[in-house]
Amino acid sequence: MSRWRYFFKRLLLSVPVLFLTMTFIFVLLRMGPVDPVAARLGPQATGAEAERMRERLGLNDPLWEQYLDFVTSFLTFDLGQSWVVFSGTDVTTIVAITGPPTLWLGFWAILLPLFIGIPLGFYAGLRPNSGGDYLASVSGILWQAMPNFWLCIMILAVLRQTHGGGWLGFDWYTFGPEIRSITGTPDLAFLSINSIETGLITVPLLTGVDWGALAVDIKLILPPALVLGSASMAAELRIGRTAILETINSNYVVTAKAKGLKDRVIIWKHVFRNAMIPLVPVITNEAFLLIGGSVIVESIFNINGLGNAFFQAMTQGDLPLAGALLFIFTLIIIFLNILQDLLYTLIDPRVGYDR
Amino acid sequence: MLALLGGSASVGLAGCSALLSEEDEDEDETSEYEVSDNADKAQAAWERVLANTAPEDEAIRTDAYIEIEEAVRDDMVLLPLFHNQEERFWYDHVDVPKTGSLGAHHQQHNHTDVDGDTELNLINSTFSELDPIMSTDTASGVVVNQIYETLTQFPNGVAELENQLLEGVETSDDGLTWTFTIRDDVQFHNGEDLTADDFKYSFRRVAESEYSERANFLLETPLGLGIEYEEDDDGGVVPDSIAFEVIDDHTFEITLREPNPAVLDILAYSAFAAIPEGYVGDIEGYDGEVDHQEFETDVANGTGPFELDEFELNEEVRVVRNDNYYGTVATLESVHWEINEDPESGFTYAMERNADIFGIPTAQYDPDLIDAETDDSGRESGTYGPLENGDTVNYLAIPELSTFYLAFNVSNVPRAVRQAVAYVTDHEEVIEDLFQGRGFKAYSFTPSGMWPSGQDGYESWVDEWPYGVDETDRDGARDVLEEAGFTDDDPYELTASTYASEPAFGEFAELTRQKLSGLGVEVSNQETEFATMQNRAEDGDVEMYSLGWIWSWPNVTYGHFALEPKNTDTSRMPNEATGFYLDWHVNLEDEA
Repeated sequence: MSRWRYFFKRLLLSVPVLFLTMTFIFVLLRMGPVDPVAARLGPQATGAEAERMRERLGLNDPLWEQYLDFVTSFLTFDLGQSWVVFSGTDVTTIVAITGPPTLWLGFWAILLPLFIGIPLGFYAGLRPNSGGDYLASVSGILWQAMPNFWLCIMILAVLRQTHGGGWLGFDWYTFGPEIRSITGTPDLAFLSINSIETGLITVPLLTGVDWGALAVDIKLILPPALVLGSASMAAELRIGRTAILETINSNYVVTAKAKGLKDRVIIWKHVFRNAMIPLVPVITNEAFLLIGGSVIVESIFNINGLGNAFFQAMTQGDLPLAGALLFIFTLIIIFLNILQDLLYTLIDPRVGYDR
Repeated sequence: MLALLGGSASVGLAGCSALLSEEDEDEDETSEYEVSDNADKAQAAWERVLANTAPEDEAIRTDAYIEIEEAVRDDMVLLPLFHNQEERFWYDHVDVPKTGSLGAHHQQHNHTDVDGDTELNLINSTFSELDPIMSTDTASGVVVNQIYETLTQFPNGVAELENQLLEGVETSDDGLTWTFTIRDDVQFHNGEDLTADDFKYSFRRVAESEYSERANFLLETPLGLGIEYEEDDDGGVVPDSIAFEVIDDHTFEITLREPNPAVLDILAYSAFAAIPEGYVGDIEGYDGEVDHQEFETDVANGTGPFELDEFELNEEVRVVRNDNYYGTVATLESVHWEINEDPESGFTYAMERNADIFGIPTAQYDPDLIDAETDDSGRESGTYGPLENGDTVNYLAIPELSTFYLAFNVSNVPRAVRQAVAYVTDHEEVIEDLFQGRGFKAYSFTPSGMWPSGQDGYESWVDEWPYGVDETDRDGARDVLEEAGFTDDDPYELTASTYASEPAFGEFAELTRQKLSGLGVEVSNQETEFATMQNRAEDGDVEMYSLGWIWSWPNVTYGHFALEPKNTDTSRMPNEATGFYLDWHVNLEDEA
């Protein structure tokens, strides 16, 4: 079977996965014990009020009808409205508001480990059992062992002590671009986009970047991104180290050495590319971690993102919002799985169902 | 104003424990319900309250209220534990009036001053509706009250009613027709004059709009006003049928079905705020200038001291000064709320001096830093500090008009066991150990601040408390249990139901288990999600449970209605009965 047939087969397999997830979400949300009406109205509502709301929300329709509605509207991206947390607001509006901060956080949470974890891992792998290797490995394990929620609280506690000049006069608030608070949602308004009217369609055009605003947004997102990326940074370090060690001792490297290639060429052409193969699933899997981790990090840093919205929806029984966000998370994960398969087929020609 | 007692915390969907509702093992012991004089006493007292609602009958009502409290106490259907303590902290550069027991969300900030700044910065929880008829939580209430106004108000949340948009009121002899005269110098934020027609429209929205969440406050009695109206075939309200008659531009008349002493209190509730006639088209006869979605979050048009400037969902809200305000125009140019639900980042935001008035999460709270004195109305005010950032800030603690209690389903738990729990409960210990001192002891369901026979009456009530004041009376518990035939060898198994977002109740259940062990009652606790617990209680499926009640206005009736034995019948809930989940009716003579 060719690589591409393998890829398309994987693509097709995601369709039943999608349906199973939707059914699962439906069962979990509609038939579970959480009563959104009680959550919405509180203990002082009377039965008549609750009944009116139940009717308005369509909770009195037969279950199969609710299921059909649910599936068709989800497939057409009509994700409905939030009931409790942002009552009456369209879920698509909520996603449009909360999505960008999460993407911004996720972007930095992937970028930081990539540029810190992998180089450190490769450095340690190329100098096994040296002092530098031990230092990198031990700090990597320590870093990974610290739970995210604890790291968040610690970083907040340490950084806010520097307000108005902390240790040695260091003040994180005025260090570099000035910020008012270390918590809160980045504005993400550093791109100025104008539209050009061409008669028929309007073309959005990037006309400038506000570097100051960009710097503030980056500074605001660095602490949470560092926490969110902490686990993957350590994982990349350790797997990168092992992968390098494995390839550097393999036969083809010995052969390359024997035929007189320079070290630099061996490492760039033979070692790195092969060492990347085990790192691909690690990096794509990170994205799954980011979705889960963003729930905690966003709520502690008070970032108005998807994770924060999901947390509130879950704890307050906001079924449509929680369901819609779960659905979006599922879509993201399915998409990332496909991306992972695509990357495999590109990097490693041997991938396929049978060889 | 109603707070969701379910609160937050604990991720994930509620577990499946609710689905596995267990068999009632003690069916045999309690299937023959004892007739209790106390249930009949409470029922009769409540009926007396309903029959004597005229203002001059206050003495009759006072006696009846106390009889209800006595019946509750003597039958031990509900054990009051504590009244919530609302605390606020503010920096020295802020000058803000003290708030009262109805909650800080009643406070309008036109009397607040910030030295060296034109904006007041506050923290708020998530909310998503600025429509007064949808606002049922304090988070939206605190913003709605800056923008919209009602006929009457409780200034700063102090339980003393004052006129707001109201000029005067007259009542007919039968107490059913109320004639209101409103101020003639009030304009909405868009410049239109406030008239009686605007009030009619606003009241009709409370009754008729599909978005209204407190229609019962207008339609029902004694929970609400009990206005006259026509019911359609589905039990809804016939459009334009509420008994609200506009007499002239500034006078209108409403007619009630029964006399109601709490009318002016109820009208202070934010759902009754004035909105310009026809502003939203969610009731029959109006197309609306804005659609309802916009009205929820994007636009607002009230008479209050501040106008809506911007509202970014889950991020921030800002209101700006209304220079055209009929009352005291604010010196502040704007009020800004950062929306933040997390205690850690909220505390960080306050320590950065970004918030001017704030709360302190329990993890960072140290009772030793308080230096405060108690004033006449039970408020503690003084200073707190030094804080982490070196500042010492102002401190105010207010006993909120709320009661958190332990209640029993009478049909599942024998009286001796209920009384034994009361005997071993030490209120002092509950407050100090389980709530870090952040609460006030409760010996009655009705808080001391609104006790019907006043402060002296309340003190003698506490003196007469039969289950031991601030002590663990194991002997009393043993006696009452032995008399009922429960011993260590043949114990009664009592299941407590608490909810996860208030873990202190779970600790209380554990404490009670330890204290009652060996006396003939074995307590176990089932902790579930709030909504799950509520559902099970509504099905009559719980034995002992914890819940709270928060008063939206200081009237004893608003609270006691839920203790009327006939109204606690869980088999008629949720539609016909609206009381607490007590099943106390089984003790009534004509039901047994």
